[in-house]
Amino acid sequence: MVQSILSAKDVVIKFSLRGRVLTAIRGASLELYEGQTLAIVGESGSGKSVFTKSFVGMLDTNGWVESGSIMFEEQDIAKFKGDKQWSTIRGKKIAMVFQDPMTSLNPLRTIGMQIQEVVELHHHLKAAEAKKRTIEILTDVGISSPEDRYSQFPHEFSGGMRQRVVIAIAIACNPKILICDEPTTALDVTIQAQILELIRKLQEQYNLTVIYITHDLGVVANVADQVAVMYAGDIIEYGTAGDIFYNAQHPYTWALLSSLPQLGIKGQPLYSIKGTPPNLFNEIKGDAFAPRNPKALKIDYVERPPYFQVSPTHYARTWLLDPRSPKMDPPETIKHMREKFVRYSV
Amino acid sequence: MGIPVTPIQHQPKPVHASKHSGSLFNYTLKRAGQSLITVLIVITVVFLLMRLLPVEGYFGDGYDKLDASQREAVLKSMGLLEPWYMQLKNFYVDLFRGDLGTSIIFRPQIPITEIIGPKIPYSAYFGFAALLMSLSLGLCLGVFQAREKGKWFDRLGTGYVVFINAVPAAVYFLFIQLYATQAFKLPILFNKDKPSSWILPAICMSLGGIAGYAMWIRRFMVDELNKDYIKLARAKGLSNTDVMFKHVLRNAFVPMAQYLPTSLLMTIAGSLYIESLYSIPGMGGLLIDAISRQDNPLVQALVLIYSTIGIFGLFMGDVLMAVIDPRIKLDKKGGAR
Repeated sequence: MVQSILSAKDVVIKFSLRGRVLTAIRGASLELYEGQTLAIVGESGSGKSVFTKSFVGMLDTNGWVESGSIMFEEQDIAKFKGDKQWSTIRGKKIAMVFQDPMTSLNPLRTIGMQIQEVVELHHHLKAAEAKKRTIEILTDVGISSPEDRYSQFPHEFSGGMRQRVVIAIAIACNPKILICDEPTTALDVTIQAQILELIRKLQEQYNLTVIYITHDLGVVANVADQVAVMYAGDIIEYGTAGDIFYNAQHPYTWALLSSLPQLGIKGQPLYSIKGTPPNLFNEIKGDAFAPRNPKALKIDYVERPPYFQVSPTHYARTWLLDPRSPKMDPPETIKHMREKFVRYSV
Repeated sequence: MGIPVTPIQHQPKPVHASKHSGSLFNYTLKRAGQSLITVLIVITVVFLLMRLLPVEGYFGDGYDKLDASQREAVLKSMGLLEPWYMQLKNFYVDLFRGDLGTSIIFRPQIPITEIIGPKIPYSAYFGFAALLMSLSLGLCLGVFQAREKGKWFDRLGTGYVVFINAVPAAVYFLFIQLYATQAFKLPILFNKDKPSSWILPAICMSLGGIAGYAMWIRRFMVDELNKDYIKLARAKGLSNTDVMFKHVLRNAFVPMAQYLPTSLLMTIAGSLYIESLYSIPGMGGLLIDAISRQDNPLVQALVLIYSTIGIFGLFMGDVLMAVIDPRIKLDKKGGAR
């Protein structure tokens, strides 16, 4: 069995916004396994970014972890306060890659200096050694003639190349965990594949555990070992990629998968989830997805479902898994996927 | 025997560095040339505008006491009866010989360098002191405001900026002259032999500058703070102080850099209001005086000085920008930013 490297338990994250308190993450739990790739999927505003930002202490200043624990290397990093404690983790053991490489780099400093800064900060190397290491890293992320590129500025790089630099900054001090916050969203499709391939390569080379935050299920299918589905600040289903794609249990996961264009049936309108996500300023009762679920049960409006175990790797938060609940068939497209999976696995 | 062939040297050029510095030199030359032309245009236009003013102005109160022939003699002595292009030619010939001419009305027959010369040090001293104070205090105030954005220190600073900009300067200048002189036993008027009399005018002059610099640096820093690369700098593990000084402040300084040389040079221009308030014999107000009394050579000389300073400041600002911002493309037309 693979080892857990980071374990988040019942994390609640709140923000104060114009005098009101918003609950962005409502008791989400997550297990991250060493060397594996976890994809966190969910629609905009479901809390994917906020949740992972709390792993590096980069919540906006008006946000805080209200309760719960995030265990990493036998420390509860949810209780960390201030730059000093975080500097032992942030950028050093847990690094981040952001969405838009066009704006993620400081336009006035050379590429080399921006990478070297990290190397010097965390490895305490001398300038000459740090430069050597920087050039090594540039080579590792697939930038040709790194010596020349070292002294160039971000505006002399293309979008894909800049994302490589951002990745170089992230891996510059051998982090354990690499969080990629929609790393390919701002890039065109051909470059996307290259960047995903690069991250996969680096994952092996540097023995990284990778978290992808994305709403692109295509990317998820490509790269993920584990998938966590988020809705309204909670992880509502968690399992291996196979579990999620072929044996999904939560109505929201069904709906999400059904809205994949690849699974649509020709000539029929593409499936879309009706309604809007709940307002996080209000207290959410029961299952957060119930108001948008046409087949919601009565209990869905009353009590929040616990995590039910489907298999040793697969958990879902839905009352449908309670033995007392009526048998509910997933939509046609999901059944179709399941059949494919069964045939595939046999 | 064939023709000796010189081997073609294939030395890999350090492409980036040489291109950059070479074009920076060309760029500087080009901008210097443009600046010079601009100064000449400004001074020529002012010269011609002065010649368009009614001749009655040259006589001041004495106009009615003179008859037509006397008036003509006066104008002739001032060299104003020649056609305008001859006057312009003479002006430029004198100018290139380094002669700014003599005043004709303000202090007749006195060389202009003698009129302006003694005034410059006073204005420059106060201007420089005010600039030093407003730069150091203003930048500090702005930087800490940006750091403490939204907290009480920031609000206090913003309050100061708003107060300085909203309340007419005359109100607090007078207030300071009246009460600060009493409270701190400082002299009410300027006296060049009494060092304590230098303090209040310099402080008064810097008040506006402090507010201005604080407002701009805070604004530019807050702009930078919201950018994505700051998020990345934090994610690298840099401390808040490092992020602030290595990334935010440096980048916020770029838009400031363009205007710094101008404000540095403009310090010799003096402040009309404060100089008259403390009766400092500086340059402030001299230009207005000279224009209203139609002292053509004095106006021309002052315009020459002011426009040269202003345009040279802008030129320096542009060069400074090109040096510190690598994104400014120097070779392509219209490529800057």
